[in-house]
Amino acid sequence: MSISSTLGSHMAESVIRTESLTRMYQMGNNTVNALRGVDLTVRHGEFVALMGASGSGKSTLLHVLGCLDRPSAGEYWLEDVKVSSLKPNALAEVRGHRIGFIFQNFNLLPRFSAWENVSLPLAYCHGKASSSIQRARAMEALTRVGLEHRAGHQPTELSGGERQRVAIARALVTQPAVILADEPTGNLDSTTGADIMKLLSELHGEGVTIVMVTHDPLIARHAGRTCTMQDGLLSEGGSSHEPY
Amino acid sequence: MSLINLIRSAFRSVAANKLRALLTMLGVVIGVASVIAMLALGNGARAAVNSTFQFLGANQIQLGQRSSMQEGQFKPMGQKLTYLDGLNMPDVVPLVEHVEMSVGKTIRARFSRNTVEIAASGVTADALENLNNQKVQPTNWPTGEPFTSLDFIGEGRFFTQEEVLTGAPVCVLGHQTALDLFAGDNPVGETIWVERTRCLVIGVLAELESTDAQNRYKSDPNQALMMPISTMIKTLFDEEPSVYMTVHIRDAERIDEAKQQISSYLRERHQIQKDETGIYLDDFDMTTRKDILGQQQEAARTFSLLLAAMATVSLVVGGIGIMNVMLVSVTERTREIGVRLAVGAKQKDIVSQFLLEAILISLSGSLVGIVTGVLVIPLAASLNNGVALLLPGSIPLAFGVALLTGVLFGLYPALRAARLDPIEALRYE
Repeated sequence: MSISSTLGSHMAESVIRTESLTRMYQMGNNTVNALRGVDLTVRHGEFVALMGASGSGKSTLLHVLGCLDRPSAGEYWLEDVKVSSLKPNALAEVRGHRIGFIFQNFNLLPRFSAWENVSLPLAYCHGKASSSIQRARAMEALTRVGLEHRAGHQPTELSGGERQRVAIARALVTQPAVILADEPTGNLDSTTGADIMKLLSELHGEGVTIVMVTHDPLIARHAGRTCTMQDGLLSEGGSSHEPY
Repeated sequence: MSLINLIRSAFRSVAANKLRALLTMLGVVIGVASVIAMLALGNGARAAVNSTFQFLGANQIQLGQRSSMQEGQFKPMGQKLTYLDGLNMPDVVPLVEHVEMSVGKTIRARFSRNTVEIAASGVTADALENLNNQKVQPTNWPTGEPFTSLDFIGEGRFFTQEEVLTGAPVCVLGHQTALDLFAGDNPVGETIWVERTRCLVIGVLAELESTDAQNRYKSDPNQALMMPISTMIKTLFDEEPSVYMTVHIRDAERIDEAKQQISSYLRERHQIQKDETGIYLDDFDMTTRKDILGQQQEAARTFSLLLAAMATVSLVVGGIGIMNVMLVSVTERTREIGVRLAVGAKQKDIVSQFLLEAILISLSGSLVGIVTGVLVIPLAASLNNGVALLLPGSIPLAFGVALLTGVLFGLYPALRAARLDPIEALRYE
């Protein structure tokens, strides 16, 4: 499937669709073109790996896709909502309801138990739901990642792999349109990393749409499709198809 | 985020750094405690002034000889205010209804072998009417039941206007004085010695008690010997004494006019001159309830200004402490803010979260401050002649001011937190 050929014809099926996405930064007197016209379509249930050297623009693309950053030019539709033109509050709504983040360094809140960390997005997006309902949904998500027995533990009491599982549960709890994972195994040893990738693959198997940034071809092999960023431009394919 | 969640979250964050929160509260604690204590002092002083001067009716003017500070002590100025000044006043000054007069002297009284040394007073025939207003009542009098000046008489009668005018050698004894001199026998009709003068006892006062809880002078109303003022001046003073007067005027509304009339009357009698700037060199002082209230309000205003300045300084210092700690907290929790923004927090959620934490610190501080302030009141009272009274309104006031401090000084750190770039915040190490 070509990157841009599906535009229009598969609109209804696509979760993410970008058109000439551009992101420029001003660094001192220099203008940095982090994204230089990226066209990307991700369809429902796809598992896409974004690869590229550091500074290639893959993290910037993930931030724009995650509505944490706004493009300088170009368009971005998330499930047919043109999010590139949304105001900050509306973007926060989109982040809360439609996007789940998984970070390299887990980013769990210290002093909050596992289930409290998982229910955090619900507190912002489903604030009207009673805390017992929020807790039940958090427990459901923790069960999905096999950590229901660790629900009351704080991050400092959990291993690296367990922390990332809690983070995955947090990303799942709002049943988002897409999960954006930024080097999800980057801080884990290879065995634990493999466990996490197995879990992500399972979720993908259940129909969850995942976009993952990685520089590791071994990890990228778990994805159904690989795209590579280079100098702010996106191209289909990548090292995952190459022998290693 | 729901308010309950926000409050819970604020409690948790503040509790995570207990010592820091406690130290931050200190400024607010001191500020609020001083507000409570100072308002109590002001309130107590006001209550004391009110109760002390309650006897002065709206239609009454106190009149006494003026004194001035000379060589470190008060000395009377000009001519004395005499019995005749008072006696003639109602005839000459149109607005004056009558003049109550008194002089006092410590004397020795004797009957048979019993002797007492006592502060005797020479008064006019209406003296008992004024007892009514001096927080004195017959002992065991039913609460709320009205009483007249006749109820103050235990045996016999009080002296008449006629006896005052003629200087009759009669006297009325206080309950205790009668017991001391006559050991239970009825004194009425007996003659006692007052210094070297024989004096017929015509009445004994009922046993009296003070109704003033703050009776600061601890005087016993039962230790009394009263005689007509003219009799006392004639027989017990070597030279004419200065008389203390309470002038009753006909119309309380025209009290300022009455003061003018009395001034003119006394200036003429005492032949008072003007000084080089055209101001009369009066040798008498007049005080009305309005004057006392005015002075009291003036004092209260000065006091309030002082209080406001002190409260402002300590609360600003407390507020700056809160702002400082909240700024540190925002920096420490940059990553947390990034995570919250990433999972759907809006800017207003972040503002509310940090603002609530600031308010929580200041309200906790105000709570501790209120308790401290209330506990400090007895101490403040002991430094202020026992007068300090908690002003109930000061508690909500202190709470409100602390809330305002929390909002004002918490707003900037909260806005700073909300304006963080989520990407930068997530990368923060």
